[in-house]
Amino acid sequence: MSKLTEKDRKSMFRRWIFGAGLGYNYESQQAPAVVFAMRKALRKIYPNDEEYIEAMENHYKYFNATPQMANIILGATLAMEEKDGLKAKEAVQSLKTSLMGPLSGVGDSVFWILIPTIMGSIAGYMALQGNAMGAILWMVMYIAFYWLKMWLCKVGYESGTKLITSLGKQISSFTDAVSVMGLMVVGSLIPTVVKMITPLEFSTGDVVLSVQTEIFDKIMPALLPVGLTLLVYYLLGKKNWTPTKIILLIIVISLVGAATGILGIA
Amino acid sequence: MNFIQDILVILIAAYMAWDNGTGNQITGNWPVTIGLLVGLVMGDVTTGLVIGGTLQLMSLGVAGIGGSSVPEYGVATIVSIFLAVRTGADTGTAIAVGLPVGMLTLQLDVVLKMINNVYAHWSLKLLQNKQFNKMDGVFYLTVVTWMMKYVIPVTLVVLFGTPIVDLVLQVIPVWFTNGLQIAGGMLPVVGIGLLLRYMPVKKYMSFLIIGYVVSAYLNVPVLGIALLGAAAAYIIYSNNVQKSEELFVETEGNASEGDDFDE
Repeated sequence: MSKLTEKDRKSMFRRWIFGAGLGYNYESQQAPAVVFAMRKALRKIYPNDEEYIEAMENHYKYFNATPQMANIILGATLAMEEKDGLKAKEAVQSLKTSLMGPLSGVGDSVFWILIPTIMGSIAGYMALQGNAMGAILWMVMYIAFYWLKMWLCKVGYESGTKLITSLGKQISSFTDAVSVMGLMVVGSLIPTVVKMITPLEFSTGDVVLSVQTEIFDKIMPALLPVGLTLLVYYLLGKKNWTPTKIILLIIVISLVGAATGILGIA
Repeated sequence: MNFIQDILVILIAAYMAWDNGTGNQITGNWPVTIGLLVGLVMGDVTTGLVIGGTLQLMSLGVAGIGGSSVPEYGVATIVSIFLAVRTGADTGTAIAVGLPVGMLTLQLDVVLKMINNVYAHWSLKLLQNKQFNKMDGVFYLTVVTWMMKYVIPVTLVVLFGTPIVDLVLQVIPVWFTNGLQIAGGMLPVVGIGLLLRYMPVKKYMSFLIIGYVVSAYLNVPVLGIALLGAAAAYIIYSNNVQKSEELFVETEGNASEGDDFDE
């Protein structure tokens, strides 16, 4: 059994970056990408064919984590196999399964919710005015994340099994904190990004009363978007309402609203 | 010139499928970044950005978390920009054609994830037969197959899209395009609803309300609210850590304290 060099670890990291979500399937989810990433490094740890096959088969089992955070887990896995070899087989499996849930909780909140929502609304509004800066900044930021991920992989590799105990305590606190930030941003999106108005007017004699500006806006800003959000939130909790069905429902409501003049272009 | 653009647009679709699946999304399939690229290729960056920006705002919060299948706004972006530049259709009409294509692409997602299962078993078989060097090849094949998810719909639109849009432009009534534009304004609500379903709304309702009030009544832009959110997050974090440390001392190392995040 030979020691892994920094080059081996970085090769594992780059192979993971290359394919993280690409082998996704319903049976083992990201396992094919894990196998692809670990293949070369594991070969160095297990020069014996039989041992290599046994260790690799272990990685064909279910794995699913936010690609960015998975770097920590795979780094730790590598360290364990390097230290204990096949004796660590069970431990490797339990490390992977016990870390992917909590780490993805944080990772999904940061990489799939917070950043795309904040960057998306900034870059989106800039793009509407023909300004490409937001989109360019977004790409630059994600290129810079390459080194962040390399560091995460290193942290995982260096802490190995200690990872579960040292992370376990803080991770749920961190997920909570990130959710609070996310909720605040989402709260601000409802009145700014969702656009729904009615052009309806009541006229009595010479006086024309606009339902939107004279009634709804007087009650609270963005009354209709808030109502729509509550409706969609409620429907998403129902079992047979998928996002796609809700999108179709909204398109139907809009078409009917436009044809009857109940809804207008904001 | 048109032919080269056609090829490049299809290549962007292939690239987007790969990039979005890697661990290092640079453009991802975010409409605004893809819109910039397609705009450059089509020689009309402004149209690219306006359509990309519109679809970006429409799709805020809609993300394929944990490999779940969601409408492909990236494909919708490529298709809409391509058709807008080629046919001269306005933003609303172009998106009205592009969005359904993005939603149909979703069906391919399911099929390809099933095909990937076959590749996974093939690769396992190679391992057991000690044909280690061929395993990488199977994975590269997976990647190429995955690219078809975006290449197929975009190629179809490149080949047949323009006459269809010309036809649609002639027969489509005004209330219909107006309706689609209204839908465009309302659709971001789907992403917001999904986010709320995913986050601990009941536990931290107050921060949702603060975000709404600061934005709707005080008109603070999103970055300001994000900073305010970061401040609140820091307080929550240090409080929680303090609390869990007290708990940790009490229970003497029973680290698996019931976690309260729901998936």
